[in-house]
Amino acid sequence: MTELLTPKKLVVRIGLAAVLLVAVALLCSLIGPESISLKRAFAATQEQGAINPDYEIFVRVRLPRIILAAIVGAALACSGVVFQALLRNPLADPYILGISSGAGLGTIIAVISGLNWTLWGRSPIAVFAFAGALGTVWLVWFIGRITGRAHVTGLLLAGVVVNAFFSAVIMFLTSIAKSQQIHATIFWLMGNMTEEKLAVLWVGSGCILAGILTLYFISPRLNALSFGEDDARSMGINIARTQTIAFAAAAFITAMAVSLSGLIGFVGLVVPHAVRLVSGPDHRQLLPLSGIIGAIFLVAADTVARIIVAPAQLPVGVVTAIVGGPFFLVLLVKYSRKVSWVK
Amino acid sequence: MSSIIEVENLSFSYTPERTILKDLGFEVTPGTFLAIAGPNGAGKSTLLNLLCRLLKSKSGIVRIDGAAIDLYNTEELAKKVSVVRQEFVPAFEFSVVQTVMMARTPYYTQIGFETKTDTEIVNEAMEATDTAHFASRALRSLSSGERQRVFIARALAQNTPILLLDEPTSFLDLKHQVRIYDLLKTAQLEKGKTIVAVTHDINLAAQYADVALMLDGNCGYHTGKLEDVFSLAQIEKVFGVKTFAAKVGEENFFLPLGKFAKDRGIINTSNNTNKRK
Repeated sequence: MTELLTPKKLVVRIGLAAVLLVAVALLCSLIGPESISLKRAFAATQEQGAINPDYEIFVRVRLPRIILAAIVGAALACSGVVFQALLRNPLADPYILGISSGAGLGTIIAVISGLNWTLWGRSPIAVFAFAGALGTVWLVWFIGRITGRAHVTGLLLAGVVVNAFFSAVIMFLTSIAKSQQIHATIFWLMGNMTEEKLAVLWVGSGCILAGILTLYFISPRLNALSFGEDDARSMGINIARTQTIAFAAAAFITAMAVSLSGLIGFVGLVVPHAVRLVSGPDHRQLLPLSGIIGAIFLVAADTVARIIVAPAQLPVGVVTAIVGGPFFLVLLVKYSRKVSWVK
Repeated sequence: MSSIIEVENLSFSYTPERTILKDLGFEVTPGTFLAIAGPNGAGKSTLLNLLCRLLKSKSGIVRIDGAAIDLYNTEELAKKVSVVRQEFVPAFEFSVVQTVMMARTPYYTQIGFETKTDTEIVNEAMEATDTAHFASRALRSLSSGERQRVFIARALAQNTPILLLDEPTSFLDLKHQVRIYDLLKTAQLEKGKTIVAVTHDINLAAQYADVALMLDGNCGYHTGKLEDVFSLAQIEKVFGVKTFAAKVGEENFFLPLGKFAKDRGIINTSNNTNKRK
């Protein structure tokens, strides 16, 4: 009976992970083409008027980008946890139900049509990506509902089909686009971080944290759902409500993340597994810890992307895929030998 | 005493062409052990799913504790009826105690944690099912018999007056079969639970159940006291197999005899008390 999760244990673990996140974030903020020091940056702030280059770089360049990486990483990891639980499939990731292709389609439409306006400070790419992502999830959810009782299988198949169809449309649009436009699109499709305005970061963080908090409150029910819908229902869980809340919140934070930084792969797949390996499958703990570890992972990956080919920058999706791909293969081989996963 | 489960004129079909259940009616008094038997495809599991509202019938009434089953919401129904299905392993590596604790999910505090009462109930359920000593092991690492006991523990932790089981002993060896039935009978006698078990094992059911429901596979059924339902004539008719019946001490038992059974001739000279049709 000793290993059941208690609120105290949960708070301590979240606290430790958060301390680690702050440490990594600070460390990463000091790394870059220009070397800066926190001491210099903050020592001089008392002197009014004088421009302090260390402070400017830290607050205006590095910190926003680190915050962006952190919230996007947290959103993707949490959303991965939820999709894996809902689909009862450990190979699920935030993009499995067509979010990636929907967002991709939105992006390429925005790029090709050459729109030039902003909505609440966001470019057409971000807006279209967000709309495309949510629209696609809704479509897949709707088709899955029609297929009826074998809900999970229906959803997965609908996701695969919608993904394939939209990918074909993306290919078509790419083939008729100008090469300059293609470059912008490809960078976005690989997942790309840029320095965002503070207002954008505030709104993004708020939305994503609200989504994660919502998901935390249904996490006990996600545990029960891991045993299948029938079992969960006979334990007194309202399945339809739980699934709807979980899908809506997970899709929303994924769409937010995608509209902030493009399609960053592997975070939502690898981080939940790594955390589950260490801390077990209890979603009350898995969800918040995955969020924090996802943030740490993406902050670190983005730092690598910033510096490895400096002064040029890699799309961060390249880094996460290069690190995450092999890690995932190891996991896959290790697990598929031990157990049969997909049931 | 009024009935805790009442079924009236219950009909069910998955497709319009083939009716599974037709005008079924029976009642279960609180604290009794009902065995549901019948050939494959006769609708035993379907009936069980109707009793826990996993399936809904278009005609007929199921009443749980005096109220129509449709009037309950999911959470209220889970306070009346718990279900043990055939073996299932979840997608992730949950431990035994985590699994049993899940039965308490609707009772968790606002921030999603169990109370002291929940822990006590879970401990008691694990003691009763003899699962406490492997509480921290992963569900996946257990044998079939152990795992089945964990799911029964989870159903007990739900603290419901009614416990439904779908072939609780189908993959188990003799020892574990008996242990499961002992466990269920104990819950019935000590806690006054109403047990409804679908079973293929007529002999084992005959030792433990008080009442029986036999579905014949053609929408016919027979219900009543166990001795009356599990008669040689019934069994031969419903299952369509020659059977040898005998009484050893207090227990009735039935032995199906196939084409190549060495004692096939025994039927004519048996000490059979039932008349064969």
